[in-house]
Amino acid sequence: MWEQVKQALVQSTLRFLTRFASMLPGLVALILAVLVSILIALIFAFVIQRLLIRMRFGERLVEWGFSSPGESTTKGAALVVSRVIACLVILVGFFIGITAFDAEWTSQLARSALGYVPNILAAGLVFLVGVIIARYLGRSVLIGAVNMNLQYARLLSMGVKWLVVVLSLAMALEHLKIAPRVVELAFGILFGGIVLALALAVGLGSKELVTKSLGGEAKKPPSEMIEDPLRHL
Amino acid sequence: MEVDSIEPQPQEKIEQIESADLVVAILADLDSESIATVCRDLQTLEGSPRLAVLQNEKRASATPAGAETAGKSAFPFLISWPLLRPDPAGTPALSMFAAYQSVFAAGEKFGARACCVVASKLENAPPRWICQMAKPMLEKEIDLVLPRYAPLKFGGLMNSSIISPVTRSLYGKRIHNAMGPDLGVSQRLYRKMLGAERNSRLNGIHALASLTSAALCANSQVYEVHLGARVYPPTDWANISSLMAQILSPFFLDMERNAVCWQRMRGSVPLPTIGDPLPAPQDTGTLEISRMVEMFQLGNRDLQEIWAFVLPPATLFELRKLSRAPVEKFYMPDELWARIVYDFALAHRLHMITRDHLLKSMTPLYLAWVASYALELEKEKGSGIDQRLERLSAAYESCKSYLVSRWRWPDRFNP
Repeated sequence: MWEQVKQALVQSTLRFLTRFASMLPGLVALILAVLVSILIALIFAFVIQRLLIRMRFGERLVEWGFSSPGESTTKGAALVVSRVIACLVILVGFFIGITAFDAEWTSQLARSALGYVPNILAAGLVFLVGVIIARYLGRSVLIGAVNMNLQYARLLSMGVKWLVVVLSLAMALEHLKIAPRVVELAFGILFGGIVLALALAVGLGSKELVTKSLGGEAKKPPSEMIEDPLRHL
Repeated sequence: MEVDSIEPQPQEKIEQIESADLVVAILADLDSESIATVCRDLQTLEGSPRLAVLQNEKRASATPAGAETAGKSAFPFLISWPLLRPDPAGTPALSMFAAYQSVFAAGEKFGARACCVVASKLENAPPRWICQMAKPMLEKEIDLVLPRYAPLKFGGLMNSSIISPVTRSLYGKRIHNAMGPDLGVSQRLYRKMLGAERNSRLNGIHALASLTSAALCANSQVYEVHLGARVYPPTDWANISSLMAQILSPFFLDMERNAVCWQRMRGSVPLPTIGDPLPAPQDTGTLEISRMVEMFQLGNRDLQEIWAFVLPPATLFELRKLSRAPVEKFYMPDELWARIVYDFALAHRLHMITRDHLLKSMTPLYLAWVASYALELEKEKGSGIDQRLERLSAAYESCKSYLVSRWRWPDRFNP
C-alpha cells in the first residue's frame, strides 16, 4: 500500500513538473512581452510628452474649455496624457503575453478582455466630450449670467456644469455595462437631485440673494419711463 | 417732394445704369423727404458726376408703388439694392459689416470713382454734408473721408473708449470715428478691401472694421469732415456683451494682421478736417451708474478665473481695490483701462480661451470704465468732453510700449 501511495505521489509530482515545464515558455514569453511593452511605453510616453509640450497642449485644453485657466499647466497635462498612453501600451503587452500560454482559458480571458476595450474607449470618449461640453456650457452660463447682473451666476453655472457631467457619466457607465439598472436609477436620482437642489437654492436657500436680485430688477423703472442717455455703439 | 417721385428703379433699369462716378448708399432709416434731399444735394456737385444712389431693397419694396414712376422719377439714379439683409442670427453688427461689402461690390459693378455711405441720422447736420464727404474724393483723390460728429457726452461710448483711442495709439493718427459709420471711400481703397476679403475669407476681414487701418497702413490720404451730432440707437442692455464681441473681434483681428505696421508708429498727429465744428445737443436722461458698478463688482467676484488668465496680477489687484470703492468715489484710471484693453487684445491673439467668452467677459470691465467716465462727466459741459477723451487717448498712447512689449514677448514680459 505504501508503495502505491509513493507511486501516486511521484506520478502527481511528475505531472505537475511536466505541466509547469510546458507552461515555462509561456511564462517567459509573458515576462518578455511585459518588459518589451514597458520599454515601448517609455519611449512612447517620452515622445508624446515632448510633442504635447511643443503643441502647448495645456493652453489648448483651456481654450477648448476642458480645464480652467491656471488649473493645468502644459507639462502637467502632457504628463497625464503620456502616462495614460504608456499604461495602455503595457496593458496591450500584458495581453499579448497571456495569449502566449496557449491555454484555452487564457485565450478566452484575453478575447473577452480585448472585446471589452471598445466599450472602455467609447465610454472614455463619451465622458471626455461630456466634460468638455460641461465646462464650455458652465463658462457660457457664468459669463451670460454675470452680464445679466444675476447675483447667483456662479451657482447657476455650477449647476449646469454638474448636470452635464452627471449625464455624460451615466452614459459612459451605460457603455461599460456596469449595473445598468443601478446606473439608470442613480442617474435619475442624482439628476433630479441637482435640479431640485438648484431650485431650492435659488428659491429658498438664496432667498436673500434672489430677493435682492429680483428686487433690484423690480425697483428699476421700465426703460420707456426713464430715458437712458448711454449710447454704446 | 412726393413719395412717388423718388421711387427706386426696377431691375431692368439697374441694368441700364452701366456706370457711375459716385455710388451713395443709404443704410440709415431715412424718410422719403430726407432721401429726396440727399438726391437733390448730390445733383449740385460740381462737374455733374454720374450718380448711383442705392437704397435698401426691403425698404424700397415697403414704399407704396406708384404707377410707372421708375421711368418718370425725378432721380433716375435711385436704385434699390440688397444692402441690409434680415438678421435672424441676432448679429446686427455683422450684418452691418456685410452691408458695406455690398456697397463696395456695387461700386465695383458701376466702376465708381468713390463710394459714400449714409448710415446715420444726424442732428444739426450742416447743409449738403453728403456733398462735403463726396467732393474731396472726386476732386482731390482722397482715399478715405471719415465723420467727426459733434461730441455727445454719453454717445458712441464703445467707440470713444476703445475703437478710436486704440486706432489713434496704434496708427499715429487722431481719428475720432474709425468705423464711421458715415464715410466716403475711394475706388483704390474699396477695391483693396474687396480683394482682401476675397483672398482671405477665413481670415475675418470685415469691410468696415479693416477700412481705416488699411488706409493708414498704406499711407493713404485720410480726411475728417465735421458733421452734426449723430442720433445713436438706444442701448440694448440684454445684448450688450454680444455686441461687444461682434465689434471687438474683427477689430482685434485687424490689429493682429497689422502688427508689423503699428509696432513702428510712435506718437500721433491730427488729421486734416473739412468744415467747422458744430455744437452738440445736451444729453438728457437719468444715468444708472450704481447698476453698472454692481455689474462690475459681480464680474470681479465671479469672473476672476477668466480674468486671471488674461490680466497680470497688478491689474487684478487694482480691480479688486476698485470693486471695494463706494459708488460716489468710483474711479477707474485711464492707464488701467488702456492696459486692460491691450491685455484683452493680446489674449484674443493668443487664443487664451474661446474668443467669444473672452470678449463677453470684458463687458463688466467696460461698464466699470463707463461708470467712472459718467461719474466724472455728469456735470461737465461742452469742451470738457473733448478734453476728457483727449486725456484717455493720451493714456492709450503712453501705454503703447506696454502693448508692444507684451505683444512681442507674451510669455516673458510680466509687468
